[in-house]
Amino acid sequence: MITAGVLAALVVPVVFDRDGFPLSTYPMYSRTRGDAVTLATAQAVDADGTSSTLTLAVIGDSDDPLVVAGELRDAISTGSADQRCLEIAERAAGWDGLPGSTVTIEVVTERHDVVAQVEGESSLLERTVHAWCEVPS
Amino acid sequence: MTVSVDDPPTATRSWPVIDAVAPPERLAMLRILTGAFALVYLLVRLPVFVQLADRRNGFDGVGLAVLLDGPMAGSTVELTIAVSILAGAGFVLGWRYRLTGPLFALGMLGLASYRGSWGQLLHFENLIVLYLLIVALSPAADVWSLDARRRTQPDDWSTESSTRYGWPIALASLVLVVTYVIAGVAKLRYGGLDWVLGDTLRNHVAYAAARLDLLGGTPSPFAGLGVRLELVWPVAAAATIFIELAAPLALLGGRIRTVWVIATWLMHVGILAFMLIGFPMPLFLVAFAPLYRIERLWTQRPSWARRSPSTQPAAAR
Repeated sequence: MITAGVLAALVVPVVFDRDGFPLSTYPMYSRTRGDAVTLATAQAVDADGTSSTLTLAVIGDSDDPLVVAGELRDAISTGSADQRCLEIAERAAGWDGLPGSTVTIEVVTERHDVVAQVEGESSLLERTVHAWCEVPS
Repeated sequence: MTVSVDDPPTATRSWPVIDAVAPPERLAMLRILTGAFALVYLLVRLPVFVQLADRRNGFDGVGLAVLLDGPMAGSTVELTIAVSILAGAGFVLGWRYRLTGPLFALGMLGLASYRGSWGQLLHFENLIVLYLLIVALSPAADVWSLDARRRTQPDDWSTESSTRYGWPIALASLVLVVTYVIAGVAKLRYGGLDWVLGDTLRNHVAYAAARLDLLGGTPSPFAGLGVRLELVWPVAAAATIFIELAAPLALLGGRIRTVWVIATWLMHVGILAFMLIGFPMPLFLVAFAPLYRIERLWTQRPSWARRSPSTQPAAAR
């Protein structure tokens, strides 16, 4: 009876196509993906508009890229990118690696040809700024 | 399944899983392995869990956290972490197991649910929690535990092989193979044949590397080489789905089980190498523990690990 119950519990999310925890549809990397992909990130931007990358810890206060990317994507989709930008700027202010010329932090989505990107070729197709904020001194 | 194939039940019934027979030492070793793995995982990821105490924005409850209206007080998060660590030690050592076992499993369920409630589920945590729940609710501390040493009457529990010890192990095996089958079904359901025949897997590898690069991380050094090997990826994609859908073969035991385990482990090594995404439980082989006579890790340990004959615990019956 318990075995049947556990089996049913494992299968229910699949039947209803509803991912959860700890019972899941295990959807990670299961969808088809083209080579043009939109990615969320945050960048340091100087007065000339030149952007440079931050770190996982500065962007998401975590060393896990899945967590950092997921939470940033979530912040953008729920309209809280401004708040997230301020948090990132605060962490960036205390980061030794921040370029001295940095003026603002931008929360962006960038569309890249990811295969070209990995091969070191020009890959940026589109860039959208969702929030920007100054780095506190 | 090892527990039913290698140890045929003495009774006339022979339902798979339900009638699986195992010695208590096997279940105890599963407790030690899963408990130690989960406890180390919690300690290694402690900064991530502790940091949850300060979070206030972006909460969307999943798992056990759907019961919450919003973020917990920081002190509650810290208390849950502390209690879970202490209960985890009790779980591994088999100390006050009827309390510490369920407490650790629920603590990990709660913490993993809470961590996943901020925008990103980590699916490798599912199996850890499912194993803990199964083992926590089983008599996994009847032997090889502080509870067993404290017992004044050695015959309080039967320590013969029985379904009492085999059933939870068989259930964990079943959970393992079903999760892999579900992952395989998901690829066919959401991706279809394009997932196998197209460039999807190559693009996933490129995507994982590009994402890390844009987030300031260090992409896999193999990703650049990998995306150039275009012909390899459809084969790897077909192999991935075959391995996942073929998981029930592992329940047959013997050589076919080991072939599946090796293939699955290599699949995870490949994912780690090309995408820098680690599924720690299968990578450290703990996920496959219910498929084997794992008590032999202790009873048949090498001679250099044996201090003296008098210190050896009772061997598997």
